[in-house]
Amino acid sequence: MIGLVLSTLRHRKAGFAGAFLALFCAAALVCACGILLDTGLRGTIAPERYAGAPVLVTGDQYVHQDKIKKHKVKHKAKALAERAWLPVATADRLRGVPGVRSVVTEVTFPAEVPGATPGSSWGHGWESAALTPFTFAAGRAPSAAGEVVVDAATARTAHLRVGSRLPVSSPIATGAYRVVGVTREALPHQAAVFFSTGEARRLAGRPGAVSAIGVFPAAGESGTSTVAKSVTAAVRGTTATVHTGGDRGRTEFWDAEKARIKLISMGGALGGTALLVAILVVAGTFALSIQQRQREIALLRAVAATPRQIRRMIGREALIVSVGAGALGAAVGPLLGLWLRDRFRALGALPPTLNLVISPFPLFAAVLAAVVAAWAAARLSARRSARIRPVEALGEAALSGPRTGAARILAGLACLAGGVVLTLVLSSLNTEAASSPVTMLTAIVWTVAVALLAPIVARTAAALWGTLLRLSPVGGHLAAANLRTRSRIVGSVIAPLTLMVGLTGTILFAQTTMGHAATAQADAGTVADHVLGPKVPAAAAAALRHTDGVTTVTEVLHSTVRVGLANYGVQGVTPAGLSRTMNLDVRSGSLNGLDAGTIAVSGTAADRLGVHVGDTIRMTLGDGTPFAPRVIAVYGRGLGFGDLTVAHDLLAAHVDDPRADTVLVAGPAGADALRSAVRHYPAVTVLDQATLSKDRAAAGAEVNYVAMGLIIAFTAIAVVNTLAMATADRARELALLRLVGTTRRQVMRMLRWETLAVVATAVVLGTAVTLITLTALATGMIGSAAPYVPPVPYLAVIGGAAALAVLATVLPARLALATRPADLIGSRA
Amino acid sequence: MGMDDVVAMDAVSKVYGKGRSAVAALREVTIGLPRGRFTAVMGPSGSGKSTFLHCAAGLDTPTSGSVRLGDTELSRLNETRLTELRRRRVGFVFQAFNLVPSLTVEQNITLPLRLSRTRVDRARLREIVERVGLAERIGHRPAQLSGGQQQRVAIARALVTRPEVVFGDEPTGALDTMTAREVLSLLRETVDGMGQTVVMVTHDPVAASYADTVLFLADGRIADAMDAPTSEKVAARMTRLGAWNR
Repeated sequence: MIGLVLSTLRHRKAGFAGAFLALFCAAALVCACGILLDTGLRGTIAPERYAGAPVLVTGDQYVHQDKIKKHKVKHKAKALAERAWLPVATADRLRGVPGVRSVVTEVTFPAEVPGATPGSSWGHGWESAALTPFTFAAGRAPSAAGEVVVDAATARTAHLRVGSRLPVSSPIATGAYRVVGVTREALPHQAAVFFSTGEARRLAGRPGAVSAIGVFPAAGESGTSTVAKSVTAAVRGTTATVHTGGDRGRTEFWDAEKARIKLISMGGALGGTALLVAILVVAGTFALSIQQRQREIALLRAVAATPRQIRRMIGREALIVSVGAGALGAAVGPLLGLWLRDRFRALGALPPTLNLVISPFPLFAAVLAAVVAAWAAARLSARRSARIRPVEALGEAALSGPRTGAARILAGLACLAGGVVLTLVLSSLNTEAASSPVTMLTAIVWTVAVALLAPIVARTAAALWGTLLRLSPVGGHLAAANLRTRSRIVGSVIAPLTLMVGLTGTILFAQTTMGHAATAQADAGTVADHVLGPKVPAAAAAALRHTDGVTTVTEVLHSTVRVGLANYGVQGVTPAGLSRTMNLDVRSGSLNGLDAGTIAVSGTAADRLGVHVGDTIRMTLGDGTPFAPRVIAVYGRGLGFGDLTVAHDLLAAHVDDPRADTVLVAGPAGADALRSAVRHYPAVTVLDQATLSKDRAAAGAEVNYVAMGLIIAFTAIAVVNTLAMATADRARELALLRLVGTTRRQVMRMLRWETLAVVATAVVLGTAVTLITLTALATGMIGSAAPYVPPVPYLAVIGGAAALAVLATVLPARLALATRPADLIGSRA
Repeated sequence: MGMDDVVAMDAVSKVYGKGRSAVAALREVTIGLPRGRFTAVMGPSGSGKSTFLHCAAGLDTPTSGSVRLGDTELSRLNETRLTELRRRRVGFVFQAFNLVPSLTVEQNITLPLRLSRTRVDRARLREIVERVGLAERIGHRPAQLSGGQQQRVAIARALVTRPEVVFGDEPTGALDTMTAREVLSLLRETVDGMGQTVVMVTHDPVAASYADTVLFLADGRIADAMDAPTSEKVAARMTRLGAWNR
């Protein structure tokens, strides 16, 4: 038996090459996704700044909630968006803990200096230098407010030495400082600027609070675990949390930690989608290759193979092909993972401090995925092949006509029903976390339904296109006849094409639908004359307020809060004169009373939370501070501006970087006057409408495009694969046409007509899948059943599908026609 | 019906389709096919001769009636049992596509043994290969053989399990006259030299003339039988059956 399997594999290399390629791509994709997932689950972030502190005490970075489900208490924790600070009193409490030699407090705030990467340059007080530890290469500690110490790397890149003047830009103030010291050490991923204790506290802007506390045991490193226990006991009941070892890195790089958590869901969703698509694609390829061997299988059945033996034979072929393809895919997977890492890093979705975990698990998972996909595919195709009647081996007559199995039709109808259910579910989902995986699943289930019902679809399509095709007397006429009689093969080509069009459409246009709605709202609601950004310090905003011809300046700051465990986007805006710069489309209540104890809520959020004007919402701000404001207004433009709106000063006190993301300016002042007002802040510019719209639409979309782009590429390979297989198998038929007097041109034209009819069918179906899915998505997320499909990308999708399909048909056909027709017909076996 | 019949068909009918579109391919056929003899089945297109062969060989199940192969009643067997019976007790030679293209001549011949996990009797294999004249071609693949050679491989495969009966469905239908004659002589030899039973469906009077007995089928019934046929007598009988007027 195994000998028969091996000779078949050797002999039918071309037929199995398709399945091999599909499985290989699937394995590589699953492996890469597995690496992302593994990194998310087990990725470690090494501490840098806090490497010298054996025990680190910080605020609690999570919101906790106990859910009671059937007598079981389930504890759930969700990450906060910003750094949680601690009261400085905690440090005093720790000083008395037995075994503690010293306690060092730390404040951290953005401090941008020339030459350092924005967003990774931090200011500290020199008293916390021991946390790394930093020591002097030259100079002394800062003692006056105007003095700083810089790390070795910053000194090198900015050409600083003791005595240099250094401009430092921090949220509270921008000013020039005198360098009084340069450290011996530097940190790999961040620049460190040390101020005098008092100046650091002032710039941090959080009186009475510290961002971290380092605890040094009297017994040195060896006393870490004992002291950690005593420290944990000492802070019990407060919000403080205790970290040792690698755990300190997660606390230090909170961004990386958030990215790590995000990788888990992204790797899972991407891997899951890849696996589903793989099974679909591989099943199609296998079914096609078995269909092409129908006569051989019928012969085996006639001379002595039981249906079980045929199933086993196909199963073993699948096993051998999948193990080979899976192993090769697993070998390439890590390279794909590294490529994804680089792309994500370039897009800012993956911080450089979080390193990729490459372990054997994703490699095994990839091989396993390939084997499972092949096994499932072989099972599905073997069901049919075992039904091939041995009589079909007799004689030269054509094989029995296509009969679509009842089980297949039932499964197809079940998938249609599943698609309807998922579509309804999707149209009721209004959080992005829930809707994005469901969107992909909905599109895939609809496509699976199309794939299962493909023979029926193909027959219907043949009937519909037939009339049109017969207008072309030779090529079109033949094409129409072929579409009618080869409906099973046509169906297996329509399926992957529909998958490609449907998935590409859903991925691309889910982003445009959401982006378009948000951009449209933001554009309509921004009534200011000018917009400035990014990272506008309070002082710059104040300078703008004092500019002639400026009537209102609205600072806008974004963050995320948690209501219960759910995430809500929040914007902080300057309440004074808000109506002159921003129109949130207030439906009830008024924004006039916006202050430190009130909030405005979007209509969708109000529905989800069940609140009205006058109610109170309990929430946790980004830094873990509880907040219970009273609702004063409900507004319509939540997608464009965020679900919640609070006063700017309130929000600014609870975020890591209180500089405004944008500043809206109303008044007759010209752009030049504004530019001159902020000339001391070179990073701040007057933004034009086009950049603004583009920035709004692009946020977050690229990461999705990169990840999902791989899946689109995979389906494209599947399309080429299937079409090439289907065409290459027709060599004999094409030769016959040539022998009876059809010219080569006519044959090619026939093939082109056929392909175009197939593409047209797939485009119609794929577009239907896209529109149904996106309408549901838009209904849930935007509240209006209006998917936005920009015409140019849509035409590009169609054109791409058509070009791929024609290419994958024409090239193998040319090869087939290159053989002398008489030779082909003459050869028997 | 004699006791020495390999295949015994009793009131066998086969109807395709249902209701108004039903077509009867066999109508109440009762016949015994004797052991150690070469029987040809002839008939015009649509006379039911292929259906006759399929039912007799256990490739298809009759709508009613009974088919016995030796002591075994075929209509009671499921598809797996039928397959096992075919590979042990029946050999087949089809018109074309007899061979698995990925296997060598030897592998094709021993395929039924391999599928039933039976050890290959090397002496028997050598004898058969020599008898069909393919001793030098044992390692070749089907694509490297002529049409006649391929049919001889098929005959060798049909003989390798020592079947009770070898069925041929137009085994010379795709061959030229000379090659056809060689293949028919080979079938004749297996009957005379090895005591094999052969049942062959054909539309060619010359092919039929190699048989001991010719059965004539018309409209799903056995219309006539002829012993010691010659091609002229067979052709004349066919003409009278009304379908040999081309």
